[in-house]
Amino acid sequence: MTGRTLAIAVAVEARKAVASRVLVSTALLLSLGVAVLAAATTAAAHAGNEQLAAKLGPLALAGGWPGLLAVAAQVTAAAGLLAFGVGLSWLYAREFTDGTITGLFALPVTRPTIALAKLIVYLVWTVVVAVLLTAVVAVTGVAITGDLPAATDWVGLGRLLALAVMTAALPVPAAWTGTIGRGLLPAIATTVALLAVAQVVVVAGGAGGWFPLAAPALWAVLPGTVSPVQLLLTATVPVGFGLLTLHAWRRLQLDR
Amino acid sequence: MSPPRIQARGLTRDFGGGAGGYGIDLEVAPGEIHALVGLNGAGKTTLMRLLLGMLRPDAGTVLLNGRPREAAEWARVGHLVETPFAYGELDGRTNLTLAARLHGVGAPEAARMVHSVLTELNLGRYAAVPARRLSLGNRQRLGLAAALQHHPEIIVLDEPTNALDPAGVILLREALVRRAAAGAGVLVSSHHLDEVARVAHRITVINRGRVIGALDPHGIDIERSFFALVHADDERAARGRPEDERRAA
Repeated sequence: MTGRTLAIAVAVEARKAVASRVLVSTALLLSLGVAVLAAATTAAAHAGNEQLAAKLGPLALAGGWPGLLAVAAQVTAAAGLLAFGVGLSWLYAREFTDGTITGLFALPVTRPTIALAKLIVYLVWTVVVAVLLTAVVAVTGVAITGDLPAATDWVGLGRLLALAVMTAALPVPAAWTGTIGRGLLPAIATTVALLAVAQVVVVAGGAGGWFPLAAPALWAVLPGTVSPVQLLLTATVPVGFGLLTLHAWRRLQLDR
Repeated sequence: MSPPRIQARGLTRDFGGGAGGYGIDLEVAPGEIHALVGLNGAGKTTLMRLLLGMLRPDAGTVLLNGRPREAAEWARVGHLVETPFAYGELDGRTNLTLAARLHGVGAPEAARMVHSVLTELNLGRYAAVPARRLSLGNRQRLGLAAALQHHPEIIVLDEPTNALDPAGVILLREALVRRAAAGAGVLVSSHHLDEVARVAHRITVINRGRVIGALDPHGIDIERSFFALVHADDERAARGRPEDERRAA
């Protein structure tokens, strides 16, 4: 892998990503979905829906900016993992389902280089989505409260942005299973499994901060309960499974 | 003297149950169009995958331009195995540009190359059409263009005439003859014996994952010769395991 071949691979993957309906529609659905769900559930909880209020916790009941941001964080932690997982699964597994993987052999740009380029493009895409999501929630907040965010709300928006980026790090195992399983289904199944496990741990609380899949969500919803070290541990998931994915692409054979 | 473009020695990959490739020796010289013929499932695609690194052999070696596969200059190789390299959401021109870039071609040079191959394979009309809207035949043409546009020295094409109309078959034939004349070594697989006889300098017959003989492209009835070879090999297999299999086991 050289700087030149990586630059070529990133340019190629970026061109494919820009033309992709999957990545564009997932970005829009997640951003608008989080804002609409947060606005609707905050309004419902504030209007006296006790069951909903019990689920969402005291902050949502408060309504206004704090309520909106608290609900947006909860929805982002779950829906974000699913949406980012779908995007990442597609980035890798589509080469197998579309049959284009044969064209990625016998090239001067090696397969691990292409796999790394996909991860870089994924990272850029998730940052764009995170910014878009935060912006849409901010505009929604102004629209429903009629107020600009106060200083604490800005902190909340910043936390939402960070949560979205950290959540994007969690489904990277799907890139690996999509490669090992040579298709979209194993990747999507992995995403759903990660989501289920993360949600169970978040709901269970306790020592969930030490569990990388749950730490970002717990940090966003209950900031005091998760330490910076625990948050940093989240990085082990994308780094570990990113390396495994690169290795799988290096050793790849079309033997099944 | 320059080395063979492709040289395989004792290439073996056993998938179990009699599927795979066994002890295959093969050479493609510079300027040569070498055809592989065999029935469906004979092992043509497996052999091409072994040559291109899509499969690792259990035994045997592959040299490309005299270099082991691990040190091959892949920028000088063009291939189409099974699925055309075309992304549905991208138009013809973009697909070809990306394929050229992945073969190490610089951006300005890639633009010239794409323009030239669009003309050569009569794909100009589809340059701005997303690949997903192309007919199967035109997708195949696009895949062939991606494999040939950078004028590789080593060309490996698996069933390249699949889904092509008669005009496409002629365009492909001319494109291959031109490249071979310029020194490329071309390996094509096919089960269309007439088509292969028109273009190939050498025809190798594959059956049950083994090279079982050769056909004379200028022979009078190569279809009869082909079936005679295959039938004799199947007979041998039915009588018992051939000598080479016994040795391997």
